Amino acid sequence: MKRRDFLKSSLAGTAAFTMAGLTAMLPNRAHAATINVTLAAQDIFKTLVDGNSVWTWRFNDINGTGPGLLDSGLVVREGDTVNVTVRNRIDRNINFEIPGVMAGTPSVSPGSNRTYTFTAPAAGSYFYTDGVNGELSRAMGLSGPLIVQPASGANQLYSGGPSFDRQYTLVMNELDDRLNSAISNGQSYNLANYEPNYFFANGLSYPSTPSDADTLIAMNRGENVALRFINTGIITYPMHFHGYHVKVATRNRTPETRVIDKDTVYVGVGECVDVILPVTQSGMFPLHTHYVPGVTNDGSYSGGGLIIMNAA
Amino acid sequence: MFNILKEPLMMRRGGGGTGGGGTGGGGTTPSGGRTFSYLTAPTSVTVNMNGSLTMANGASVSTWYFTNGGGFNGDRTVPSPVIEANQGQTVRVTLNSMMPHSIHFHGLDVDQQNDGVPATSFAVGGMGGAGSSYTYTFTAPHAGTYMYHCHVDTHQHFEMGMYGTVIIRPADGSTNQVWAGGPTFDKEYVWHLMTFDTSWHSGMGGMGGTILRRYSPNYFLINGRDGASVITDSTTAITAGAGQRVLIRINGTSYMPGRIRLGGLAFDVVASDGRPLASPLRTTELQVNAGERYDIIVTMPSSGQNNATVDYRNIRNNATLGTARTTVTVA
Repeated sequence: MKRRDFLKSSLAGTAAFTMAGLTAMLPNRAHAATINVTLAAQDIFKTLVDGNSVWTWRFNDINGTGPGLLDSGLVVREGDTVNVTVRNRIDRNINFEIPGVMAGTPSVSPGSNRTYTFTAPAAGSYFYTDGVNGELSRAMGLSGPLIVQPASGANQLYSGGPSFDRQYTLVMNELDDRLNSAISNGQSYNLANYEPNYFFANGLSYPSTPSDADTLIAMNRGENVALRFINTGIITYPMHFHGYHVKVATRNRTPETRVIDKDTVYVGVGECVDVILPVTQSGMFPLHTHYVPGVTNDGSYSGGGLIIMNAA
Repeated sequence: MFNILKEPLMMRRGGGGTGGGGTGGGGTTPSGGRTFSYLTAPTSVTVNMNGSLTMANGASVSTWYFTNGGGFNGDRTVPSPVIEANQGQTVRVTLNSMMPHSIHFHGLDVDQQNDGVPATSFAVGGMGGAGSSYTYTFTAPHAGTYMYHCHVDTHQHFEMGMYGTVIIRPADGSTNQVWAGGPTFDKEYVWHLMTFDTSWHSGMGGMGGTILRRYSPNYFLINGRDGASVITDSTTAITAGAGQRVLIRINGTSYMPGRIRLGGLAFDVVASDGRPLASPLRTTELQVNAGERYDIIVTMPSSGQNNATVDYRNIRNNATLGTARTTVTVA
């Protein structure tokens, strides 16, 4: 599916729920909404940037999956009631969890459906995943971003928090294709041997990243740009900015008070880190993990979750 | 959508790069409270791709590095030499290279032209390249600790050792204050956190050929020394008088995070990435991740010796992969 069609279908599919909206604000509305979403948990082959095909687990938005390996995402507003129906079509029990919000939810067996309901928590960046299979699910890709916007509708990371002129969500994760092969063959894989060889930003690897409008960081000098790093993988991401220092605003929704001015922002396993980038100069600059093996596609440089910032 | 891959978006133009000759000091020996050699900008460096380091077990590891006749300490190929300048100064560093290399001034927020990234600026040297010399030019923004490194095939060139530290002194050139109005110190160390996956270094006499994937380090170093060699290394092992304030500029030049401990001694984390912390953090351990820099100050106790450690940790679960050990000794 082309990106444009994806945007269209998901916008049309469910009012007030968009995936494209990872970069946009929801329309203003007077009251909290009830949002119904259906995610198909599927095991399917995905083609990577170098043509390699790997067996993965996805949460697919039935109204249209995204580009690359990011197949769903939720953007809601504080206080919204969210009903997520999970259709489990993979070969084992899973559930739907939001670290920091809800854990230990009932599982759904293969071939069954279950609806998980939550009230959108305090504004900030989150992700959802399966908690039954732990890190294996994140290594296989069974996760997605959850952005909660302030009830006020303001362009703020949280009510009264830092404001911004525009925002981008950057979901960072990776895979070790030996693990994917083992799972596809019905074998187990010792996560102690996990050494990833593909790396992603919003499910894309460079050179595909700057071709996606949600992943190319387009901005203007003088603006403040919010970047939401959501680490759904199982390795750490020290994200280095060329050209700029940023202000670390929150780490797992908690305001950062001490180590604020950074050019390299650590995003730990399972962490969500929101930063404000003051665009102090024009130009085109990379943004990438300084675990530089993560700037490759199966050992080929440059690739991985390399992001391009372009400031007019 | 533009295609960023097809060719460099900007070719080298105007401004710098005309001079092949080096200027500035080369291999200046330690002075002030320094425990390392350094170059003072304006300066120039070349690239050596025939280096090696001898590990404590006798193994030889091939290295590539920047040099201006000397290095970090004159007795080792990597890290590359420290480059110093003063806040507010226009900094000029000339890279002379026949092979494709570049310098990225990491954390100095230079403009695109001087950023050293082939995809968005250019490499120096190589066939069809931008000539064999370029003078990187920028204004030093804030006093603090920075990094410079090659950004061509970075996963390989960085691992081979093409990195060093940039120290921006306060505008007055002070060598006993981290920034103007900031904390003072009596003695100063630079600790390069380093790991080697020697499978990434073998067979590197030529270019390309070997696919470098799945990084698994097997040597764990500080400042190019490992094992027993790092315990007493003069650039790493801290010796200072009782009550003296020692600044350690920790540079995250390993791909793996390092957890710093000074054997239980408390220290103050005063700055990171060339900026003061909003408030200093007093702690006994600190994790420094790839690409980060932290400036810490330890006040020497009244007597004795402490064992300091850097635990290099797995990026997946923080398990310790290996440890570099040194000492903190009251002279």
